[in-house]
Amino acid sequence: MATESTTDFTLDTAAALAADEEGAIEGKSPWLLAWRRLRRNYVAIGFFFLFVAIVVLCLCAPLYANHVAHTGPNTGHLGETFTRNGKQVPVVSKGGFDASGQFHAGGIPIGPQLWHAGGRYVFGADDQGRDVAVRLLYGGLNSLLVGIGSAIICTLFAIIFALLAGYFGGKTDWVISRGFDLIWAFPVLLLAIALGTALSINGFHHFGINIQSGSLWIPILVISIVLIPYVGRPLRGQILSLREKEFIEAATAQGASSWRVMLSELLPNIASSILVFFTLIIATNILTEAGLSFLGAGVQPPNPSWGTMIADGQDRIATAPWLTIIPGIMIVLTVLSLNVFGDGLRDALDPRAKVRMDA
Amino acid sequence: MTKRSRLTRFVGVLALLAALAFLAGCGGGGNKSSSGTGSGAGTNSGKTYSTLRVIWDAPDYMDPQLYYTVAAYQINNYVWTGLLGYKHVAGPDGATLVPYLAESMPKISADGTDLKFTLRPNLHYSNGKPVKASDFAYSIERAFKMDSPGVGFFSAIKGVSGASGYAATKKGHISGIITNDANRTIEIKLDHPEGDILYILALEFAHVVPSGTPATDQSTHPIPATGPYELQSYSPNRSFKLIRNPHWNNQIPTMPSGNPDQVVGTIITDPVAAYQRVASDKADYDFQPVPNDRLPEAQSKYKDRLRIYTNANTYYYALNNAIPPFNNMKAREAVQYAVDPQAIISGVYGGLGRPTQNFLPPGYPQYKKINAWNFDLAKAKQLVQQSGTAGATVDVYGPNEDPSKASTEYLAGQLTKIGYKPKLHLLSHAVYFQTIGNQATKAQAMFTDWYQDYPHPIDWFDTLLNGNRITKIHNNNVGNVNVPSVNKEIEALKKITTLTPQVNDRWAKVDKDLMATYHTTVPYMNRSSTDFFSSKMDMNCYVFSVVLYWDWGLSCQH
Repeated sequence: MATESTTDFTLDTAAALAADEEGAIEGKSPWLLAWRRLRRNYVAIGFFFLFVAIVVLCLCAPLYANHVAHTGPNTGHLGETFTRNGKQVPVVSKGGFDASGQFHAGGIPIGPQLWHAGGRYVFGADDQGRDVAVRLLYGGLNSLLVGIGSAIICTLFAIIFALLAGYFGGKTDWVISRGFDLIWAFPVLLLAIALGTALSINGFHHFGINIQSGSLWIPILVISIVLIPYVGRPLRGQILSLREKEFIEAATAQGASSWRVMLSELLPNIASSILVFFTLIIATNILTEAGLSFLGAGVQPPNPSWGTMIADGQDRIATAPWLTIIPGIMIVLTVLSLNVFGDGLRDALDPRAKVRMDA
Repeated sequence: MTKRSRLTRFVGVLALLAALAFLAGCGGGGNKSSSGTGSGAGTNSGKTYSTLRVIWDAPDYMDPQLYYTVAAYQINNYVWTGLLGYKHVAGPDGATLVPYLAESMPKISADGTDLKFTLRPNLHYSNGKPVKASDFAYSIERAFKMDSPGVGFFSAIKGVSGASGYAATKKGHISGIITNDANRTIEIKLDHPEGDILYILALEFAHVVPSGTPATDQSTHPIPATGPYELQSYSPNRSFKLIRNPHWNNQIPTMPSGNPDQVVGTIITDPVAAYQRVASDKADYDFQPVPNDRLPEAQSKYKDRLRIYTNANTYYYALNNAIPPFNNMKAREAVQYAVDPQAIISGVYGGLGRPTQNFLPPGYPQYKKINAWNFDLAKAKQLVQQSGTAGATVDVYGPNEDPSKASTEYLAGQLTKIGYKPKLHLLSHAVYFQTIGNQATKAQAMFTDWYQDYPHPIDWFDTLLNGNRITKIHNNNVGNVNVPSVNKEIEALKKITTLTPQVNDRWAKVDKDLMATYHTTVPYMNRSSTDFFSSKMDMNCYVFSVVLYWDWGLSCQH
């Protein structure tokens, strides 16, 4: 039975949810309780569906490109025209010198057409005459791929390092912790730029691993590496605390091996934190990718990402503002949805936790 | 700002008199004497005013033996001078060489290997000390000691090249430069005749500085000047200030004395910020090109304050003629058909450019317009099929900054459309040209451009497209263009002593053979740029020289 709240409205969702749970948790698994809490957090659920909608839209990029816009994400249409209301309109305005030598400024791409051009140039064109809507979807696909891919790798390594450092302690902990310190000592973006720039020129061809320049693996790996400490450190802290608990002593006393303790006892107990971190780190990674791509060290042209699209559009901010505004809005919506959902998830999994992503 | 040219050029052989004939071809007349004060003064002289406030790009150096960018060259051509220089007039006549520190054009031996100059009398540096003939020799030697990017230009001077040459040892003196301070004479001996030597002597690397000037970068410790202005201060990436040379006394009558009493330069590398400063009259001149984004506004709102010019440059896509797929002539021809110059000019450069199929830019007496192909994607695809290279992977290289980046992306896009699989490599401008100039890179298609060092076809065809000059690294012929018959013709033309109309026709044929017969390269544009001024400037005084760019010394204010 939920207790009466002293006020009708509170911004402290976690406290409200926790208060609602009083007396109603007996016999329920933690996951079921979390789900009950989460589904009553309508804001978090709403933003979750917004994120899902963005993902689905981006996954539909090939369909949209082939059947609606009839052009690829990297296909330029400079010098071409398209039909709008029965009239031929240049994709990018013509400029140059006329026969009398008079100069005419040109190069302004067509603005958002919405549905007036039969699905072409719904969000306008860029200065290469490429369809912004198509690039937006493919760019989103790349941004999400980098964000989620790097989140998976980053979280995976963070878990491994945190388990090893937290459980074994001693020299193992010292080495891993100093490794985290070393990465943490660099400003994240600068380290990522340095790695991204170096790898984007020649790729990576060492230790039997061959990654070509321009591959999406480069931003994925770069972002994964630089953000490992941001997940690994708090997880290590939790494991350090957990390994002193009685149930770990009990498992050890029963002869469980170190690996068994780590995988069967410790890992399930930090699963909720991992889930929360994973959600939030995706948002962080998408932002990092956008920053790297904007600076030319992330997704490599001509492949789109929201960051490269903003970079491409910045020189046209006065005459074609949609080139920067539209991908900017997409980044905001995606990151906001992940952050709000991530917060909601944290509140649901552990209403009294103080875990926050500071990265 | 773009360098005047990308890399040091190692000068080849050409008969000396060719240059003189070329001067005549430019309409300026070759052997001009020092007499005649009107040649440089123009009609704007004497319209003095207090301060010219300019927004400038960051110069590479403010030391004449080192600087090699337009940003440094354009401002300093009124500060340090050489034996020869260019006429300060608008139009093609601006390519005419006139004596500056020299009393007259040199006396040249019949075989073209010996040049004799005499300095003007009573020349002084801005610190009041006299200019001596030996200062010239010191200045050239100083360039070598500093590993100046211009030393390659002096390779034909006797005593420079070879294992025991000054370029290698940097010890003693250059034997081919003989000076006499008492008589004010300078004799330059060459290993072989060189057609463009007079132009080389007008380059900034040959500008005269006092003997004893440290052979280290003196950008922030201004070197005494010989021109009408001296550099008073320079703060890298921030500002510079030029003031009148107190010892000028119109000592070089072929140069204008300049109208502004001082030039205050603020270095702003962001074109948008630079444009806004000038648009709001907080500065008088915007060195940076008006951004494409602001061009429509500049054209409509500030039309009277905007000038658009096209100087001697060519933008082209280099195709690696040495390796597949572009060792196939039909494949190269296909790319020529696949590129739409007007589309690039409109979309990438905001209209600031003129389409071309020539390698040599317009304005040269050797220029004959080529019209050998049209933008035709269907034909391009057909040629790719005929060449048997369809589906080939092409490594496309370009700088990672717009507009060069966008131009490179355009090329990659067009290659995709005609059946290739391009792979884009965008590099920092700082390493770009040395990367594509390295054979190990194996670049197959490249963005590139060239701005003249001086107005002579040797600076184009011999430097950039002569197969005999292909090198493993620092290769200027980035497309490895190597057509034996054309190489032979270039070598032959370098030995011709007189640039007659027939010789000019032969240079024009070299252009046509390389572009239209052998399809070696894809030239697409002569880029235009802008000069933008505040409302204070009197645009009636605007003078644009093909070599000196906007001649700020001849500017005046309302």
